[in-house]
Amino acid sequence: MTESSTLLPTGQRRIDHLEMRGIVKRFPGVLAADHVDFDVKAGEVHALLGENGAGKSTLMKILYGLYAPNEGEIYINGKKVEIHSPADAIANGIGMVHQHFMLVPTLTVAENVALGLKSSREPMLDLDVVSERIVTLAERYGLQVDPSAPVWQLAVGERQRVEIIKALYRGAALLILDEPTAVLTPQEVDDLFGTLRQMLDEGHGIIFISHKLHEVLAISNRITVLRDGRRVGTIPAEGATKPQLARMMVGREVILQYEKVDMPHGEALLRLEGVHAHSDRGTEALRGVTLEVRAGEILGLAGVSGNGQRELAEAIFGLRPITAGKVFLDGREITGKSPALLNKLGMSYIPEERMVDAVVKDFTVAENLMLQDHVNPPYAVGKIFLNPRAIAQHCAEMIRSFNIRTPSQETPIKSLSGGNIQKLVLARELAREPRVLIAAQPTRGVDIGATEYIHQRLLEQRAKGTATLLISEDLDEILALSDRIAVIYEGEIVGVVDRADADVETLGLMMAGAKRQGEQVAEAV
Amino acid sequence: MKKLGFVVVAVLVAALVLPVLTPSAQAEGEPFRVAVVMPSTVNDLAFSQSIYDALVAIQEERGEENFQIDYSENLFVVEDAATALRDYAAEGYDLVIAHGSQYGSSLEEIAPEFPDTAFAWGTTVNTFQDEGITNVYAYEARSEQGAFVQGVMAGMLTKSNVIGVIGPIETGDAKLYVDGFSAGVAYQNPDAEVLVNYIQSFSDVALAAAAAEAMLDEGADILTGTAQMVPGAVNKAKEAGALWFGTQADQASLAPEIVVASQVYDWTVALNPIIEDIEAGEINGEAFSLTLENGGLNIVFNEDFELDEAVMARAEEIMDAIVNGDISFEIDDEGNLSVIEAETESEG
Amino acid sequence: MIDVIKALLTVSALASGIRLATPYLYAAIGETYGQRSGVLNLGVEGVMLMGAFTSFWAVNRFTPEGATTYEPTALLIGVLVALAVGFVMGLATAFINVTLQAEQGISGIGIYLFGLGMSDLLFQRLFQGVETVNGFPKIYIPGLSDIPVVGELLFRQNLLVYIAFALVPITWFVMNKTTLGLKIRAVGQNPEAADTMGISVVKVRYFTVTLGSMLAAVAGASLSIAEHNVYFYNMTAGMGFIAVALVYFGSWRARGVMFGALLFSLVTAIQLRASTLGIGIPDEYLRMTPYLLTIIALVFASQRIDQPAALTKPFERGE
Repeated sequence: MTESSTLLPTGQRRIDHLEMRGIVKRFPGVLAADHVDFDVKAGEVHALLGENGAGKSTLMKILYGLYAPNEGEIYINGKKVEIHSPADAIANGIGMVHQHFMLVPTLTVAENVALGLKSSREPMLDLDVVSERIVTLAERYGLQVDPSAPVWQLAVGERQRVEIIKALYRGAALLILDEPTAVLTPQEVDDLFGTLRQMLDEGHGIIFISHKLHEVLAISNRITVLRDGRRVGTIPAEGATKPQLARMMVGREVILQYEKVDMPHGEALLRLEGVHAHSDRGTEALRGVTLEVRAGEILGLAGVSGNGQRELAEAIFGLRPITAGKVFLDGREITGKSPALLNKLGMSYIPEERMVDAVVKDFTVAENLMLQDHVNPPYAVGKIFLNPRAIAQHCAEMIRSFNIRTPSQETPIKSLSGGNIQKLVLARELAREPRVLIAAQPTRGVDIGATEYIHQRLLEQRAKGTATLLISEDLDEILALSDRIAVIYEGEIVGVVDRADADVETLGLMMAGAKRQGEQVAEAV
Repeated sequence: MKKLGFVVVAVLVAALVLPVLTPSAQAEGEPFRVAVVMPSTVNDLAFSQSIYDALVAIQEERGEENFQIDYSENLFVVEDAATALRDYAAEGYDLVIAHGSQYGSSLEEIAPEFPDTAFAWGTTVNTFQDEGITNVYAYEARSEQGAFVQGVMAGMLTKSNVIGVIGPIETGDAKLYVDGFSAGVAYQNPDAEVLVNYIQSFSDVALAAAAAEAMLDEGADILTGTAQMVPGAVNKAKEAGALWFGTQADQASLAPEIVVASQVYDWTVALNPIIEDIEAGEINGEAFSLTLENGGLNIVFNEDFELDEAVMARAEEIMDAIVNGDISFEIDDEGNLSVIEAETESEG
Repeated sequence: MIDVIKALLTVSALASGIRLATPYLYAAIGETYGQRSGVLNLGVEGVMLMGAFTSFWAVNRFTPEGATTYEPTALLIGVLVALAVGFVMGLATAFINVTLQAEQGISGIGIYLFGLGMSDLLFQRLFQGVETVNGFPKIYIPGLSDIPVVGELLFRQNLLVYIAFALVPITWFVMNKTTLGLKIRAVGQNPEAADTMGISVVKVRYFTVTLGSMLAAVAGASLSIAEHNVYFYNMTAGMGFIAVALVYFGSWRARGVMFGALLFSLVTAIQLRASTLGIGIPDEYLRMTPYLLTIIALVFASQRIDQPAALTKPFERGE
């Protein structure tokens, strides 16, 4: 045993240096990782930055044994290791917190942690022993969690803590965090960073995957940027700037600040009065939502995922029964009206799950563009026969004006990238010149280039006088586009603030449920 | 190349046309080919086995080289049976037997398509003569006759005056048997109670067993039942020491110590004249019945069971009465059975 | 009315219900293991038939000619043969559903049809006709069997009945108190999570499906060599499918499955008595009651959070 056998305070062997060399991973038709080198040392955060599809997750899934690389080697403390499964990774001291939590909701925290581990009383479970150790770990790293609580009852932030405990419990000396902040409130992000710093001090290594530039700059020691499966470069975090990183990610200059035209205060085009609705599980998802969105304004709806955003969008657009309350479109009551009628009245909807709710996967680009209008003239003759020439013309125009990159109109939509699909949906919905637009997570899973484009189009729409309800879990997006910001928590609007008065701190507290009653929030801060 | 193509087409056409032209009359040296489609299996110790046994008996008499038997089992689903019937007819079998009353409507469709093929359908009396179809024979077992005899015996043997009868569904052969047995009990022993349960299944052995348990629970000391699921009930009767009457086949082997007698069908009584018709080229679509009189029905007493002589004598007396016509049965349009006694015997 | 109820709810009716429940219990508890790990095996009926036939054949074969009472060795061999057949069919089922990732609703029907046809083919080849065997005798548990009512109900049954009911607490214990049970539950709820924790989803599913299949085979044996001591074509008559429904009915818990099996069987037993006594309702309608009841219960049971989230979903690492 050399000095590599240095132990962490929790008793695990330290990973002084982990190296991935020349990693290649091919998927059918895609080179997801193209001879990537990557390394991380004990006591440092090495951030992995890149757009969706740049290969960050692929690389980390290889390190965690979920994918087998086509080429390349992994070394720990100078010694080559073979990692063929998560079990191998765990045995080598590697832990991973996945972007989509790998928890079993019906099991308790302790059961989730104990899962797959040898019990001290094999074949029987030893949940009491496990719980005790969880409490010890939780105290040490500031990861407060109740071992006996079933996971489905936990909030998102708590679930993430369980994931970290799971990894530490298994003796992780190196922790991979895949987009850990995407679901957290700003305060929770601070707590998470506190935990990570404690781990770093003890000699853990951390790989931090993100596409949020300011967070990466805040926590990392080194930053590696990936683009199209290739490593663009590795730079020290100190001295790095946001525009520099954005340029590395996208390969060109990116606008991070938008120009906004001043718009006069218009009248309320969309108004909600005490709207109630149920979730798919039958629980109360909306509890009396009252909101108004004015002409020429973008109202941002902020909130942590799962607080009723999806249900709200669906309730407004007639896709979910409203159990109480009313919705008005330009003064006319539209509660419970069908999407078709709402379309006709000038409302458009960009749904959150675009592959499920917005497009038909196996249809072509043209067919998807014509989903609503194919029965109307001039695209249909006598409401029955399609008019292919008119359709082709219209589609060509939309594809051009919205910069949709597709081989042809006849390409099945499922072979397009997320950004292009979203542009298609946007093209279809905006071509109708809507007076009210509901945009739910319009840039989720979309690359920076397309995001920028979509944002510009939304602002253009605002300049045309459209009332836009922008539902997003990305606080940066909300702050960049909105005129006013409403915060939703457990199906209720906690408060509405003007963009000018909004700061991340206050919004974060509201997202965690604190009522915006001036002093209270101030005190809490 | 072109010429070869023509030859191929010619051969194909010939292959299609020739079988149609082949006369259906029995060619010299060719075996007689019979096919039977049945709802259960050839060894179900019940309805399906009875027809198979009869065909085998005929085969033994005529020699295997002269008489070919093919069968399709477990065709409880009528659509499947119809396919099999059509296939057999198309393959030129001399006689195609649809052994199940549920196959009627299929046969009514198929038979006219193969006017040169003889069909037989049981159990029924309907030969579709009214529909102008002449190539369908009908056969049935007057199972109420043997059932009546067994019912009389049960009426004498019961000590508890409770007797149980298990049936599958209330129709056809099963209903005839159940009704005949009940009538026999009532005729002999009006004080005895007959518990009847149609369990709505031909195959659920557990259900038949549970039904038997329910009857034994009610004090039944004699049970009988019809259709292939009854072995479950026989087992329960054996456990409880109750007596059993079998039908459709000899069931003594299932429980030698408790089976009193079985009514056994001998379908050769119906099949032989049908086959003779076909061989003579005179298909006429008659209806045949198995009766005690023509020997199609037999009461087979279990040799291992010691039957009281008085009961045996009474059984023979009743059988004679049925053969003589002193006791006869009538089934009305709704399928209800009534017993008719000739005037002369009424004082006996 | 009260007389009718009294006549229907006799001790013997209840005892009959308990015996009827036995094959359902074996099959449904076996199916519970598979479903808890995310595999729906609709082939239970086919495995039951194979178990029923092969165990019957073995007992018949190994009981000396002319024996008038049961032969313990033959019965033991019968159960072992059923277990072996269940094991092989279980491996095949797991291969089709787990490795080949077949559509589970369809592949199960295939396994059922195989079992139905194969058991019949073997029966025709190996037996001349319907025969009987000397099966498991009733065991009167000393002392307990003399307790009025309860004794007759619970302590005068054959060995396979006792084992079936013992499986209920055993299964509860395995599922909730052992590391194996935790793995099974996790694999059924979130196989990706289990996989990242180093658990082999494939191994767990092979294990549960094979175990379930072995229990299904014993379910068949409990009919042919313990309760009815006879075998013939399709003697299970749909019990395997009812067993699958009972797993939903019982919310994937052994205790719930037992209640479901007992309820279904008791209603069947009582219904048969009602039909025998002739309470004025046609047999056809009475015969529907257990099924109707099951359907009604299933409708109410449809929205359960206990349902394994990954049920019927094949697992493949990395998409």
